[in-house]
Amino acid sequence: MEALVKFEHVSKCYPNGVRALRCIDLTIERGEFISIIGPSGAGKSTFLRSINCLNRISEGKIYLDGEEITQKKGKQLRLARRKVGMIFQNYNLVYRLSVLQNVLHGKLGYKQGIKGLFGSYTEEEKLEAIALIEELGLKDYVYSRADELSGGQKQRVGIARAIMQNPDLLLCDEPIASLDPSSAMITMEMLKDMTKKHNITCIANLHQVDIAKQYSTRIIGLKDGNVVFDGRPEELTAEKISEIYGTDLGSLTMEGEKKYA
Amino acid sequence: MRSNPTMRKIPLYKEKEKQLYIRFFEIVLLIVIACGIYTRFNPFEIFLNAEYFWSFIFEDFLPPSMPDFLSTMNSIAITLAMAISATTVGGIMALFVSLFGSEYISPYKGIAKIVRGFATFLRNIPTLVWAFILFSSLGIGTGVGFIALMITSFAFLVRAFIETMDEISSDCVESLEAVGASFWQRVIHGIWPSCIHGYLSWFLYSLEVNIRASTIVGMVGGGGIGMVLLSYIKSFKYHKAAGIILAIAIIVIVVELLTNSLRKKMVE
Amino acid sequence: MDSLLNMNMETEIIEKRKNGKIKISCRQKDHSVRYFLIVIGVLTMISFLFLDIEWGKLLARLPEIPLIFMKLFTFQFDKMDQIIEAFFETVSVAVLSTFLGIVLGLFFGIFAANNILHIKGLPTFVKAFFSFIRAIPTLVWVLLMLVCLGFGPAAGIVGLCIHTTAFFTRSFAQSFEDVSDEVIEALEVTGAGKLQIFFHAILSSSFSQMIAWIGMRFEINFAECAILGMVGAGGVGFMISNSIQSYDYGTAGVAIVLVFLFAYLIERIFVAIKKTLAGKN
Repeated sequence: MEALVKFEHVSKCYPNGVRALRCIDLTIERGEFISIIGPSGAGKSTFLRSINCLNRISEGKIYLDGEEITQKKGKQLRLARRKVGMIFQNYNLVYRLSVLQNVLHGKLGYKQGIKGLFGSYTEEEKLEAIALIEELGLKDYVYSRADELSGGQKQRVGIARAIMQNPDLLLCDEPIASLDPSSAMITMEMLKDMTKKHNITCIANLHQVDIAKQYSTRIIGLKDGNVVFDGRPEELTAEKISEIYGTDLGSLTMEGEKKYA
Repeated sequence: MRSNPTMRKIPLYKEKEKQLYIRFFEIVLLIVIACGIYTRFNPFEIFLNAEYFWSFIFEDFLPPSMPDFLSTMNSIAITLAMAISATTVGGIMALFVSLFGSEYISPYKGIAKIVRGFATFLRNIPTLVWAFILFSSLGIGTGVGFIALMITSFAFLVRAFIETMDEISSDCVESLEAVGASFWQRVIHGIWPSCIHGYLSWFLYSLEVNIRASTIVGMVGGGGIGMVLLSYIKSFKYHKAAGIILAIAIIVIVVELLTNSLRKKMVE
Repeated sequence: MDSLLNMNMETEIIEKRKNGKIKISCRQKDHSVRYFLIVIGVLTMISFLFLDIEWGKLLARLPEIPLIFMKLFTFQFDKMDQIIEAFFETVSVAVLSTFLGIVLGLFFGIFAANNILHIKGLPTFVKAFFSFIRAIPTLVWVLLMLVCLGFGPAAGIVGLCIHTTAFFTRSFAQSFEDVSDEVIEALEVTGAGKLQIFFHAILSSSFSQMIAWIGMRFEINFAECAILGMVGAGGVGFMISNSIQSYDYGTAGVAIVLVFLFAYLIERIFVAIKKTLAGKN
């Protein structure tokens, strides 16, 4: 069976000259739960966003399920994107709409024409969404406005929206960075349960190394746009961590700061 | 006094910043004086003529006398109708055009700059200049007044709507993009629901401005209360002119109170 | 089967619409937006019916607009000296009226803000008075001053200044009132006088907001000045209206472009100033 995601010599250079990714080669198999760790500005976010083309890479190719996504545009790209769910640090919900409406947004990629524009969802879709909301413990908030929820609850709506897409792959961009420790744990548990249950491969950017070690099946360490670690959580020793984060302070971090300031 | 160097005055601001402010105020003052000389404007002259000024106000002008009630109401209605219809049509056009003017949202990034440039061009030519250009090509009348008002409110609202969208909706647009939603899906399910209150608030502001502008456009040929006022002033019927001015003030204040209370509701 | 199971489970949370379909929008939906849109729609329809615009005639003449623009853009520079002179007069009127407006607005703003002098009733009275002045369009004030002071820039300056003062009084007072009570209290405790508090705490706290107001008003005042001439006062507006009425479109075009460029320049400058001020805070 083909690998789900394949990076071939991927580089990204921003217009301001910052090189966020440097010639990355990677394959990601189905069923993995991957955490990406690394200092700020290491290119974690760019890495994640290039998979669903929210950021366009400058060089190389990314294959999604055997098809090259980096060449796709317009409708082709939209069709590819609906198989990739995404969760954001700031939840990125439409706060004036109900929780149910936000979750149903996950189905927009499947809609065509006039029906798609005005969002006439089928009864099955609505029931599916409500079941999902209940499963994530937000039963009492189905018809609440999204801005009435707490941070952890908002992120759960974000998860529900992504699962609604029925994706093969879930990208999580700092999913718990804006949450307090206890909601962060709940959110991570739910992510793990949901991805396992729906058989979804997951890639998450994380700041917290301990959480990464606890939940993932594979960890990738990024530094200055290079992959400096790629292995199982047990292989991530203290030495490796200090290599990724550059605990040899002084020259290393200062340079890093300057480069990405 | 300067015998003890440690007793120097302690600066409250950074020396450089202070210098900058002083230089700035000097330049402003210089410009003001230059302008005063250029126009030979003497503020004290006004005070010298104050007697004439007050006698004009209290004898020629006040008390206001109300001209024929029905015809006044009719011309007020024309002014209001011109403002409302122009703001609505301009607003609807701006609703669509602004989508293409925002760099975050526009599906064609290249067009965004052109749209904003065009709106800037329309906006920075005063309404009355538009009115004059249009009167000379289309003739005089309320229809032309309507178009002149519409052009400027359209241009103003394009800018305001773009700012509203950039502020509010860039996050949710990104998430809907990741879902695989098309441009119009993103607009209908993401941008419009989250921005509608901001839009309406700006719409109300534009309406308020247009009520005043509509009076002015009326003066130069758009019809309505402005035209009536100008004709009274030109024929030296100052008491009646005062009555009309009072009527205008009341209308504007009522509209302002109304739009302000609605706007507060929108923003919460 | 799965969905059937869900339906039994969730009967207590699902809400139905009138047509039997599952509702998806919020429970406490605010209908204000919908009512508002309906009211505006109805008002607009009434307006159009009332105005009774002759659309046919208007549309038939529409092709003449590009023609006029062609004529406007065939610039004629032979009256350049007059245009420049009128243009500078307009700029001067705008600068002077704005400056005087700032000075007077600061003065009256102190009386209009309810957190400076603490005289009961005075702020309300001052605000109401200036709201009334503001409600009368600038151009009407200029017309009155033309009658009163005679033809010339003075009428424009005073007329604009009246409206500008009213504008600044309200907006400055608002900025003053936005300064948090804690800041003022902190100084009151030290025994500072009312005016001391005003100059040391309130004025500096609301400075950047005031700059934004001034920029906004200067833009408006320039636009107003540019059109003053059209109702009989001098300046570049007179050049424009006069040239158009005497079919001298080339000259009008030059004047209009000049007005546009200057208005654009002001906009850019104040956007830049606002940005640097925002960057500092």
